[in-house]
Amino acid sequence: MRLLLTLAAATALGTVAAFTPGTAGATAGSANELRVCADPDYLPFSNRAGAGFENQIASYVARVLHERLVYTWDSSRGAGGFDQFLRETLDAKKCDVVTDVPYASDGILASNAYYVSSYVFVFPKRKHYDITSMDSPVLAHLKIGFETDTPAENGLKLRTLILHAVPFDSTDESKAPPATSEMLAALASGKIAVGVTWEPAIGMYLRAMPQFDVVAVPNSRSQGSPEQYAFPMAMAARSGDTVTKAKLDRVIAQHRAELTRILARNGVRLYAPSDAAAGL
Amino acid sequence: MKRMLVAGFSACALLLAVAGAFRAGTAQERVSLSELAKDPNQWVMPSLDYAATRNSKLSEITTDNAKNLSVAWTMSTGATRGHEGQPLVVGDTLYFESAYPNHVFAVDLDDYHTKWEYTPKQDPFAVSVACCDLVNRGVAYGDGKIIVDALDGHVIALDAQTGRTVWISKNSDAEMGQTLTSAPLIVKNKVIVGVSGGEFGVRGFLTAYDLNTGKKAWRAYSEGPDSDLLIGADFTGPHNAGVSTWHGDQWRVGGGTTWGWYSYDPKLNLVYYGTGNPGTWNPSQRPGDNKWSMTIFARNPDTGMAKWAMQMTPHDAWDYDGVNEMILADINVNGSDVPALVHFDRNGFAYEVDRRTGKLLLAKKFDPAVNWATDIDVATGRPHVVADKTPKAGENVQGICPAAMGSKDQQPASFDPQSGYFIVPTNHNCMDYKAFAVKYKSGFPFVGATVKMYPGPGGNRGAVIAWDPSDGHIAWTDPERFPAWGGVLTTAGGVAFYGTMDGWFKAIDTKSGKLLWKFHTPSGIIGNPITYTHKGHQYVAILSGVGGWAALGLAAGLTNPTAGLGAVNAALDLSNYTQLGGDLVVFSLPQNS
Repeated sequence: MRLLLTLAAATALGTVAAFTPGTAGATAGSANELRVCADPDYLPFSNRAGAGFENQIASYVARVLHERLVYTWDSSRGAGGFDQFLRETLDAKKCDVVTDVPYASDGILASNAYYVSSYVFVFPKRKHYDITSMDSPVLAHLKIGFETDTPAENGLKLRTLILHAVPFDSTDESKAPPATSEMLAALASGKIAVGVTWEPAIGMYLRAMPQFDVVAVPNSRSQGSPEQYAFPMAMAARSGDTVTKAKLDRVIAQHRAELTRILARNGVRLYAPSDAAAGL
Repeated sequence: MKRMLVAGFSACALLLAVAGAFRAGTAQERVSLSELAKDPNQWVMPSLDYAATRNSKLSEITTDNAKNLSVAWTMSTGATRGHEGQPLVVGDTLYFESAYPNHVFAVDLDDYHTKWEYTPKQDPFAVSVACCDLVNRGVAYGDGKIIVDALDGHVIALDAQTGRTVWISKNSDAEMGQTLTSAPLIVKNKVIVGVSGGEFGVRGFLTAYDLNTGKKAWRAYSEGPDSDLLIGADFTGPHNAGVSTWHGDQWRVGGGTTWGWYSYDPKLNLVYYGTGNPGTWNPSQRPGDNKWSMTIFARNPDTGMAKWAMQMTPHDAWDYDGVNEMILADINVNGSDVPALVHFDRNGFAYEVDRRTGKLLLAKKFDPAVNWATDIDVATGRPHVVADKTPKAGENVQGICPAAMGSKDQQPASFDPQSGYFIVPTNHNCMDYKAFAVKYKSGFPFVGATVKMYPGPGGNRGAVIAWDPSDGHIAWTDPERFPAWGGVLTTAGGVAFYGTMDGWFKAIDTKSGKLLWKFHTPSGIIGNPITYTHKGHQYVAILSGVGGWAALGLAAGLTNPTAGLGAVNAALDLSNYTQLGGDLVVFSLPQNS
């Protein structure tokens, strides 16, 4: 029995940049409403006050569509995790859009990808660690923090680096909502020497913590089978809701520059699709 | 009733324990546990006896009168998650442990008052890392102590009379993804304890603690150098295989947890148990046999040293943990009488092994639907694997039978010497394996496998079968709507008992499988029936309280079909039949009959 079903593998990254110009037509849901489901208490992604980068993406999409943004709040971190969240919100038609999902996810109708980001190593600049990949020799001597149930866990496990690694679980509902990343706090206090996490999960906080270096974890085949650390990200419509997807795709095609600016303002670093494919 | 918490009791508890005396208790303390287990009026070990037969000599309840069974008494366990264990009866006291938060009760069988109650203080992190519901499989008894395994990895010895804490040992670390769900086994002055979870790539191990002090006596890992595995010159298998069958030093994260049942042969002085899946999910990332995951081990309980080992599923790709119970029975196999170990594995094959040597005598499918392998080479023990039914990176594979939860999971079978049958509770689900799914843990994308389980051929999701070990054939089959996730009890009255996930507690004729009686309990049953006598009459007790992996959807409120490692889909309709809630339910014949 196991928690993690991670299999490193390639996805069809070539399709990421292929925009599908949306066809004009009727909008889904109530007229003039953009109904979005989001977690009310999960910064830096979203919160009820609208401070997460997903909130700002949703606000912008509503604005350019001239629609009123209506939220349905539900934790995406309870039993069953994000899949259960989708089932109880999007599938249950409490909303029509979720603004941040991996492109090519199952069980939803994904828009075209609107950004690509990556898992990263994060460590104090002053240490000057020579870290360029999961195979960098210095990692064997460092206490590594990792987010559980992610490619980071599997990559560390494959190299047995996990034996001197420290697990973090940002989705643990039993903990108070974070004022900052628990992993960054552990780095600052010296509890760990290097962290491996999804950059958008820490980018917002990194802007106030310039003492840290961030290095993307390159995709790899060094252990014999592919490991993927960069992922294209999309918005989600309900399965079969081609009207909403077309609407979202249209916004992404016509307003990509502004979407990118919103992400950058929130510290979300982008990695070009070619970077994402490197090594695969 | 006073709740005893972990803190605050130490040496003084020991002194008080010596002073106490309960009815029949002092006499019992003088006899060994194996002698005590010969008294059919009590049920002093999780599996009844060291051989794990779950076969009682009691015979007041027969195939003729079982139809008259009725409820004698009941009691709430105070917990709602899955109850996979069974009570013990020692003297006039019945002991049981609930699902998490692991309440332990000592109940007076004269008037059903609670003599004591105990709930361990636990690290709540254990809840988030437990893979398949927050189950528990029961307490053990020995030398006047009740031994309790807590989900967060603590092993606790309580004074059986007072409930006071005698010692506490920390067996595993929830922060490393390890939990503890199994029932301990006491052998001489050792407490044998396993480990569950083992996520984050930790190696599995079996540990022995001193029964009197809780001090660790030995720990035997499932992978690594022979010194870690407690493999010495006496070991009959290949040496250094715990390292050489792994790529590089991946054995360090080799998995192979030990969360099932343990049995013991006093004559051979060997403890038997199985190990679970290798640590890394993606088989293409861990080339080799990955020994000794998925293995039956025989060890000396005094030293922990391994005598023999037999790997059932080399290079596992299906999650067929090898931890199911090892039943020790002296039987005739292929025409020869042999001291056998009989094991119904998750991989769908029944293994009949000479328990002295580990030599495989017979291995056959106990569900005809099994298709991941055609057969087992009896000379080598290796399966002939069907490539088209093997999950692998980059391919979507459909119709693999059994599903990851196996043709049978931890739910223990029973050996009935009267009929010669093993009565085996089984699962009958198959699965599709989609290798390339992009998944999301709120905020964190990853590429994972999506597993979906669904009923096997015929549409039933489980069955109770009778296995004739002489030539390895199924004598009869009682199909069940859901996986038969509860254990079986057989009795000298010719009656076998088991419960179902949809809440029925059933008495059947062991010889024919014919239903004699059934009763609908408050919740679905995944626990194991026991029987005992009190004041001259036979009682049958069962913990009702659905949950476990097979009912994870209901237990954890999941409705996504692929959640729970794909198990949720296979039991989406369970709520049409039952709800959560733990109860002890005890049956007897009407006392005036």
